[in-house]
Amino acid sequence: MEDTDSKQNERHVVRADPEIADLIPDFLEMRQEDVKTILDALEKNDFKTIHILAHSMKGSGGGYGFDRISVIGNFLEDAAENKDPEECLRVVNVLANYLANVKVIY
Amino acid sequence: MKILLVDDSETARVLLERFLIQAGYTDLEKVDSAAEAFDKLGMNGPSAPVPKMDMIMLDVVMPEMDGIEACQRIKAVESLRDIPIIMVTGKTDDESLQRAFDMGAIDYITKPLNKVELLARVRSALKLKQEMDDRKEATRKLEAANHQLQLLSLLDGLTGIANRRNFDETLDKEWRRGLRDGHPLSLILGDIDCFKAYNDNYGHQAGDECLKLVAQTIAGMVKRPGDLAARYGGEEFVVVLPETGMKNAALLAEELREKVESRNLPHAFSKVSEVVTLSLGVASALPSRECTPANLIEAADQALYQAKHSGRNRVGASPEKIE
Repeated sequence: MEDTDSKQNERHVVRADPEIADLIPDFLEMRQEDVKTILDALEKNDFKTIHILAHSMKGSGGGYGFDRISVIGNFLEDAAENKDPEECLRVVNVLANYLANVKVIY
Repeated sequence: MKILLVDDSETARVLLERFLIQAGYTDLEKVDSAAEAFDKLGMNGPSAPVPKMDMIMLDVVMPEMDGIEACQRIKAVESLRDIPIIMVTGKTDDESLQRAFDMGAIDYITKPLNKVELLARVRSALKLKQEMDDRKEATRKLEAANHQLQLLSLLDGLTGIANRRNFDETLDKEWRRGLRDGHPLSLILGDIDCFKAYNDNYGHQAGDECLKLVAQTIAGMVKRPGDLAARYGGEEFVVVLPETGMKNAALLAEELREKVESRNLPHAFSKVSEVVTLSLGVASALPSRECTPANLIEAADQALYQAKHSGRNRVGASPEKIE
């Protein structure tokens, strides 16, 4: 995954599927919650919780229109399986950055 | 059509529900675990009857019990076996898929969900379920109709042996066969002695039971393929014996008489005996163009009459040679 500094603030643009548009704000909010939960879990080395959340976002991201979240979830899931705290941190930061920068067009 | 959604992730459930509702599948049940799914399916012991599900969408990766095991458990229940199960999974490796199919899943959908694929597979599974239900219903109706038809057309309602119509057709058939083959055809006509008195004194219900017993006794002794024991009328029975001549027919008639008598069914009001007995008339014919089945029946009837008027509980053999 290449995410250099110059790309960090690149805005990802997602066109909302009108049929599920109303579900998107909640979805993104839940993912924000996930970031907090994952950081907490990292402090306790609770890789199980991270794995569950990662798996969930991997499975749902694309369905809501956020393929990137599915990809992130995939990497995070692997990192949690490998009990790799540095990698987990790196990926959750990618997620946080993405959520901060993504623009949804309704 | 009622669909059960099983997924531990609320995010996933919400999306799946949305896609389904928009496609018109509004009758949904959502649960977040296999345990809850079993509840909804009525698998956890007897309780109030549960609504029937037409399809189950089962997430594979779940804490506690995974979808594969849940699928296996559901399929193990006879009454739930026909519900199509679609696995929803992020794991698309061959081994996982193979396991899912081995456990009885009918299809799978990958996560993240692709709406078009999802709806295509759901539609397909529900169509299959509908067709299965229709076929089961049609089969049930057919079997019921067949059963009805059998009862009405060939069997006597009370005794369960061949009815009069059956006898008429069989006699006709065997007569024509006798014409072709040149073999003799015999008839035994039997009548329960003093049956009216039996009915009047013991009641109609007992009378019916008596008829059933006698019918069973006679039918039980008419075993060769091609032979037919039928209820001819009220308390009259008839036996058709193709390829049989007078001697053997008379022997069988005597066996029938003896067997009925030995059932020892009490008949205190019989003028003949203390038990139920039969009078029988036997006649034999060599089918030809010069005679008809009616001649044969007439002859047997005459022989029966003779038996009745010679003391009953005996076999009368027709002296006529019908040919």
